Amino acid sequence: MATKTTPGDAFAGATRPTVAGFDAAKAGRRAECDGGRMIPGTKYAGREEFSGTLTGEYVDHGDPPWRWYRLCELTQKPENYEGDAVWCESGNLFVVDEDAG
Amino acid sequence: MPKDPLRTRFTEMLGIEFPIIAFTHCKDVAVSVINAGGFAVLGEAMHTPDEIAADIAWIRERIDGKPFGIDLVLPASVPESASLDDMIAKIPDEQRAFAEKIKKAYDVPDPKEAIALHQWGGLNQELGRAQLDVLLDERVPLIASGLGSPAFILDAAHERDMLVFGLVGKARQAKRQLEAGVDGIIAQGYDAAGHTGAVGTFSIVPEIAAIAGDTPVIAAGGVTTGQHLAAALCLGAAGVWTGTLWLACRESDVDMIIKDRLIESTNEDTSYSKSISGMTMRVLKCPWTDEWEKPEAPPVLPTPYQMLLSAEYIQASNDHRRADLMTEAAGQGVGFITSMKPARQILFDLVEEALASLEGVVGELP
Repeated sequence: MATKTTPGDAFAGATRPTVAGFDAAKAGRRAECDGGRMIPGTKYAGREEFSGTLTGEYVDHGDPPWRWYRLCELTQKPENYEGDAVWCESGNLFVVDEDAG
Repeated sequence: MPKDPLRTRFTEMLGIEFPIIAFTHCKDVAVSVINAGGFAVLGEAMHTPDEIAADIAWIRERIDGKPFGIDLVLPASVPESASLDDMIAKIPDEQRAFAEKIKKAYDVPDPKEAIALHQWGGLNQELGRAQLDVLLDERVPLIASGLGSPAFILDAAHERDMLVFGLVGKARQAKRQLEAGVDGIIAQGYDAAGHTGAVGTFSIVPEIAAIAGDTPVIAAGGVTTGQHLAAALCLGAAGVWTGTLWLACRESDVDMIIKDRLIESTNEDTSYSKSISGMTMRVLKCPWTDEWEKPEAPPVLPTPYQMLLSAEYIQASNDHRRADLMTEAAGQGVGFITSMKPARQILFDLVEEALASLEGVVGELP
């Protein structure tokens, strides 16, 4: 069910509709994110892996919706990654017990 | 009668002659490969939507209706954000001093122009979507997602008769994308240039081919010769994705100094390093990568701090065309690039070598 929670700074510059919501079924689940993105200032991309706990918060960006989940309490993150949380695209997010095997 | 081994699900899907994809940032290379019977995917991740539209038009004018692809890098994760000023201020003194030491030791000049910091906000969801909108509006025959999952645009693409391929570095990523209904999977091994997964090409290709069913799997990572193409087909791939191979071709717009470096390089001359960006990527070895691998080097900083550190070195080496300093993304097959040939010739050489390799195993082919 969509709520009016704040999408977070990661979506602060969004010009397309962003709909924030909360997925209770995901909240508290352990998950891994096969993340990554363009390396700013270059034509290259890089991979980054995270493990942590899903807060249940999500943001649907644009239409068709591109869903992002917030992963916090990170137990694995890139060396020296300073954040305590990361937004993970749903297609690259693996809930540990659901997606095992 | 045995089938033509170079006729695959991928060639049939696109109506092309050879199961070879050239991934390139150069439009001229793309057009040459397409017109010679291969397939090309143009890397447009750093381009604005208007630039992408212009490039699509330019290619279409030159390929007589043949299919082509565009590659974007859809983000798979984004940090919670920080401003550029915050990031610069947080670079520790130890790493700053080490970067300065490299600059002095190798007589690295100052860049000729200011570093383009306006790009440093990172490429986020907004740009990715704007880029995708152009591809959908233009009905580009094939969209390749070079990192993140393209699942969310599958319906929109398929409504327009467009194909969507996803590049993956792990079997579970492939499984997720196959379940979503992608039209092809590019299985990228550790040998590849730039960002790669940790699994080698020889292992990841059959692993993913085993779960892909009728969906074509394209082998990526270190593919530089016809022997690689033959091997990829035997591993279960329906084609190959090649990048480094085209950097030194005649049509390529890569600096001649880098072309010479590529031609001179052996397969041991790449570095799988975090020192450029903070994320692992395979590049040609250079003083910057060598120095950060030494025991006395401080820890590499995370993205984007390390890139902020390396940017001056990279831009200075390019601005001044210093062959001893410059680097470029390159895969482990770089040692097989030994001359500067036309793209068309490279394509035909791959085909002949592959057929010869297969005939060496099974005898004469049809």
